[in-house]
Amino acid sequence: MIAYIIRRIGTSVIVVIGVSIVIFVLLHEIYPSPARDVLGLKATLAQVNAWNKANGYDAPVIVQYLRYVGHLLQGNLGYSYAENQSVAALFQERVARSAYLSGMSLLLAIVIAIPLGIYQAVRRNSVGDNVATSLAFVTYSMPVFFLGLILIQVFALSWPVLGFEASQSTSVLTVMGDWHDMLLPILTLALITVASFSRYMRSSAMDVLAQDYIKVARAKGLPERLVLLRHLLRNACLPIITLIGLSIPNLLAGNLITESLFNYQGLGLLFFNSLSKADYPTLLAYTLIGAVFVVIGNFVADLALSAADPRIRLV
Amino acid sequence: MKFGKARFGGMILAVAGVTALAACSSSGSSGGGSTNGSAITLPGGYGSVPAAATGAEKAGTITWALQPGTSPNWIFPVIPSADNSVFNAESFGWDMWVPLYWTQNGVTPEMVPSMSPADTPVYSNGDKTVSITMKSWKWSDGTPVTAKDLEFDIDLIKAGVKESPSNWASYTPGYFPDNVVSMSTPDASTLVLNLKSAVNPSWFTEDILSYAGPVGPLPAQAWSKDSANGPILDFTNPANATKIFNFLTAASKSVSTYATNPLWQVVDGPYKLSAYNATTGAFTLVPNTSYSGPHAKVESNFQGVPFTSNTAELNALKTGSVDVGYVDYTAVPQIPSIKRVGYNVFGMPDYGSNFVAYNFKDATGHFDAIANQLYFRQAMAHLEDEQGYINAFMHGAGDPAYGPIPAYPQSPYLPADAATNPYPFSVSDAVSLLKANGWTVTPGGTDTCTKPGTGAGECGAGIPAGTKLAFNLIYSTSPSLLGQQVTDLASEAKQAGVEITLQSSNFNYMITNYLDPAAPANENKWAMEDFGGETDNPYPTQFNFLNTGGATQIGDYSNSTANGLMTASISSGNPSAVKNEAAFLTMNQPLLFQPTPDYIWAWKTDISGEPSSFENLTQYYATPEFWYFTK
Repeated sequence: MIAYIIRRIGTSVIVVIGVSIVIFVLLHEIYPSPARDVLGLKATLAQVNAWNKANGYDAPVIVQYLRYVGHLLQGNLGYSYAENQSVAALFQERVARSAYLSGMSLLLAIVIAIPLGIYQAVRRNSVGDNVATSLAFVTYSMPVFFLGLILIQVFALSWPVLGFEASQSTSVLTVMGDWHDMLLPILTLALITVASFSRYMRSSAMDVLAQDYIKVARAKGLPERLVLLRHLLRNACLPIITLIGLSIPNLLAGNLITESLFNYQGLGLLFFNSLSKADYPTLLAYTLIGAVFVVIGNFVADLALSAADPRIRLV
Repeated sequence: MKFGKARFGGMILAVAGVTALAACSSSGSSGGGSTNGSAITLPGGYGSVPAAATGAEKAGTITWALQPGTSPNWIFPVIPSADNSVFNAESFGWDMWVPLYWTQNGVTPEMVPSMSPADTPVYSNGDKTVSITMKSWKWSDGTPVTAKDLEFDIDLIKAGVKESPSNWASYTPGYFPDNVVSMSTPDASTLVLNLKSAVNPSWFTEDILSYAGPVGPLPAQAWSKDSANGPILDFTNPANATKIFNFLTAASKSVSTYATNPLWQVVDGPYKLSAYNATTGAFTLVPNTSYSGPHAKVESNFQGVPFTSNTAELNALKTGSVDVGYVDYTAVPQIPSIKRVGYNVFGMPDYGSNFVAYNFKDATGHFDAIANQLYFRQAMAHLEDEQGYINAFMHGAGDPAYGPIPAYPQSPYLPADAATNPYPFSVSDAVSLLKANGWTVTPGGTDTCTKPGTGAGECGAGIPAGTKLAFNLIYSTSPSLLGQQVTDLASEAKQAGVEITLQSSNFNYMITNYLDPAAPANENKWAMEDFGGETDNPYPTQFNFLNTGGATQIGDYSNSTANGLMTASISSGNPSAVKNEAAFLTMNQPLLFQPTPDYIWAWKTDISGEPSSFENLTQYYATPEFWYFTK
């Protein structure tokens, strides 16, 4: 196990390095330097070249990359000329908010989807199962902005019981306590996730219910509640564990549309604004951190799977 | 998308006889407010502006919606190119440090003497000497605003551009402040500028001394140092000025300290900053009780509230959660529902023009030669259905523009030939022009030059026989209006056999890669491009934009007659010289001018004030010092 973890860390580092090289080179091709952003459109080519020389942007790509990596290792993610702040500061201001929104919606989705999927599997082809399936298909096929707009219209405008925008506080603790304003954005993300998670759970639970050990447990007279909790739940959750692991990168950036819709200053919106402003230092840092999150997410998923199912051995 | 107002152009000196924003001081009385007279409807405007309510005037906190991505991120009034935008200047900075001459009266670009901290400048010595007399205004620390404070600003600008031309967005080498030979302060309130050569008085004031810079007094007694606790330095020493400039620039880059840094608390404008959120860009301005200019009897706090999308802001209006907000032109059909919540609504296009630029250097398919033919540009203008665009894409909330000075908002410099369309929409007229100039027109196909040559009825110089009238047009995908307009243009053009291949892109990529001066290597990659437009200065000369070699040229338009007229605009003694320039450019069509959508604003019905203070919202100006609550 230890050897596996070490090997996995090693390959993860190689993957992240590879991603960083590809992204850096690609962005460099599109955007060789921020000189034009700093100097303005009236700057002559000579002035642009002078700025590039003074700031190291005339060096070969490999030299610039190594310099960038050196800064990264010291926690320097670069400077955003578009925002007049360091990239690290931009991230720091938003990461907790985005993580809360993504994390809460994921948690809510899990809490709803797992029992719903089990119910649908146990009561398959019943009225309840069919209704839940229909709702899942409708929700899953709905764009997130459309679902959000419907929820805002119903619960914030027509029948104003909830806030039309997310909490505007920059303190994540205040945001966490503000259920009135956070419920709709969390629900918007959660419902889409419930739709897909519940389908996976239903399918997986149906497979487990067909297993011999379930029949044996029932035949031995074990209460149905215990059959489901002790034998069905853990075995049927394996696909969900994988999905949760793959959802970890969303903690970083999966909420762009929701953040735009609910006026929530998070990382997803930062990414979008960076794209539209051609704020490449921010984009570069964002993509690299995203790669790290993907790698971590996969790793965590594999470890969790191994812990949940002893038949899976990590070698 | 428009450039910010950073465009070097002329400034014009005061236009007399304006109905300036006056100090509001209606007699107080108990009870709720009532309108005094009917609402004001302006030509070309959308909606109307109610007259100022009489009766009780109450203070409070007025919340104001900030568009996505427009939160201010620069506070030092000497604004560098990288941070130049109307949102850092007119809608934020100018509430704290007033430009020398205020040149926006409602929707009309004209000087407002009462809001200017200096008297109308006096030109002498053949328009080579400018005498500026400061009024008896005060800084918020109680010290008087003097001519030295204005000299301080100019010295800082000089120091900044000496280090790098981009340190002042309005700088063009050879012009201000390079053309200032010397400055003197014969007394505490007078600054005299001696210039290298004569300037057009109208141009010099509105573009240089106020708007485009801006140029305005800065608190030398508090800012003339090179460290937070350092001594006050003599800024007239260039070495000191450089140190001071670098110190103030560094402070301005520290966005998280805007509300706490004591530097930024010394203001002469109606407001000072009390809170600023570096994450969201939200800010709170509180009244400067020492403000010497005109304002309402009671002044309210003013809060900028950022929004992440137009949809989120529209929801805020629908719930009445923001006092003053904008209405995107795509949401015009929802205005009745906004009004029902309790808002007044008014819109007017921004003073400027949207356009599609020609690339006069693109040799692909001989487009450079084609674009240089006036008849071709006239034909393209005939293919543009401006009123159709306004009706279909802007829901009727827009106005046409036929030249560099738009028809609306009305400007005293609008030439007669730009008030109506000199090239009205007509595919048949476009076809006639092409046929009359040597082209075989193939409707639905591609026109071909069949009569090459430079004589009458021939295609023109540099266009060989067999040349196809086919080229590309690159457009920005944001806002969607641009794509809608050029798609229609391409469709109409096809009927005249003009084959336009549309390519989508984004604004930042286009201004980096498809500007001839900035990216000469890409000269042959684009024939026409549409990224929005530009805002005009109050004296709307196109000098530096359309003159040969102008610093902000896009497609290298070059015309000797235009050059002469633009030069006259900035250097002749005729205060209306720009009218002749605009008249020529309207007919010569250096750009394919397009209509401009109304910039629409909504404000709650219980907020009142001088009508022009609401009108100028449409021009990106925020003057909340004139607003008050009526309940």
